[in-house]
Amino acid sequence: MPTEQQVLQALSVVEDPDLHRDIVSLGFVKRLALDGSTVSFDLELTTPACPVKDELKARCEEVVGALEGVSRVDVTLSAEVRRPRPAGEIMPGVKNVIAVASGKGGVGKSTTAANLALALVAEGASVGLLDADIYGPSMPTMFGTHAKPMPAGEDRIHPVFAQGIKLMSIGFLVDPDQPMVWRGPMVHGALSQFLRQVEWGELDYVIVDMPPGTGDAQLTLTQLAPLAGAVIVTTPQQVALIDARKGLKMFEQVKVPVLGIVENMAYFVCDGCDKEHDIFTRGGGRRAAEELGVPLLGEVPLEGGVTTSGDAGQPIVGRDPDSPAAQAFRKLAREVARQLAIRGMQNQPAGDSLSMTWQS
Amino acid sequence: MEIADGVTPQGLGQDGPDVLLVHWSNGHEGRLGVRDLRLACPCAQCVDEWTGERQLRSEDVAADVRPRKIEPVGLYALSIEWSDGHSTGIYTFERLAQMCQCDACAAPAPPDSRPA
Repeated sequence: MPTEQQVLQALSVVEDPDLHRDIVSLGFVKRLALDGSTVSFDLELTTPACPVKDELKARCEEVVGALEGVSRVDVTLSAEVRRPRPAGEIMPGVKNVIAVASGKGGVGKSTTAANLALALVAEGASVGLLDADIYGPSMPTMFGTHAKPMPAGEDRIHPVFAQGIKLMSIGFLVDPDQPMVWRGPMVHGALSQFLRQVEWGELDYVIVDMPPGTGDAQLTLTQLAPLAGAVIVTTPQQVALIDARKGLKMFEQVKVPVLGIVENMAYFVCDGCDKEHDIFTRGGGRRAAEELGVPLLGEVPLEGGVTTSGDAGQPIVGRDPDSPAAQAFRKLAREVARQLAIRGMQNQPAGDSLSMTWQS
Repeated sequence: MEIADGVTPQGLGQDGPDVLLVHWSNGHEGRLGVRDLRLACPCAQCVDEWTGERQLRSEDVAADVRPRKIEPVGLYALSIEWSDGHSTGIYTFERLAQMCQCDACAAPAPPDSRPA
């Protein structure tokens, strides 16, 4: 029978393919126990949506199983999402705030945000979704709820719980038929209040559905929300890519890491055959990602079910989990979680003590 | 100081009544005279938005101007509320590094003429 030390040594050859370090020095191996010829331990990853979790588990079983005197290896997968930056005053219990943005409207940004949130839940994470599209909030429709948020204490409100996520939208607070007419300073005030007064509680991820474009509202959000990263949604056409570039530049200026690009409406799968039809030029997203030097996080097919599901109040990841689009969103969620985990390990976030009162 | 990508302030401090200390993640200990910071305010009131010409003159700022409160702005900058009531300037980390007045960085960089 091996010693604990020998097991750890055997495990130290298993490397996390993204973080390029071995799982022992990364602190992933927890609760190691030896009982006769049985070795059991937890493999605690940095996200439940880790795309290589099964592969890592199999490698662990292989190397420990090869030790002399081991007949059985029990690996339990768990996850503890890490916080890439210290908790601040806004959304203190949220570990990662992710912005979903686009340079222009109509590319499926809100659909992507909603499905990304649901896909992260499906991977086992606790998730919130903030609909910050103050001009045209769409989450109440997509999640089929017009519930009024409940007050939490004097001047705070609870998000609405819908389909496994905590949801907050400006659409819950105003009459759905009332157009939002906001001047610049009002936008800043409203968003700031919105960010401070929602009681999110403890969550692994909050997805922020940004308003389209790169104006006042976007700048306010990037300055106030503690963003861990941004995902930019685009479509294959050249004009959409020009706008994606603008979005990317905005995040660069305010030092929010761009996790990558999602190409929406990348191809069309008809219901009669499984052939992938290219409606627009194929590979536009990949070319844009290469050109802009960011990862291509996913390609989501154009599928009738995506929009009808959204309009019917249940995004496709929940409504038709086996559809190609739902599968593409699941893959996207794992890729986003992976990029966040990589950056969380590499980044040197600004310190939490950048607030001070001057002593005269 | 030139800062590489990803170098960020890890903490702030005070040395006497008029020097702001910035502890950088690369180990650099930055020093900034607070009046020079006030004079270098990059906001649209202090610097003409179109021409980039500085509107704020040295004689407009009291010798004993002090910060009241300093807060982070997103992941890239600090905002300072001043004893003269001014609070609209956003000082990017990059700019704070450029302006560093510690012995190693020697003389202060000339005030940038463009708003950040």
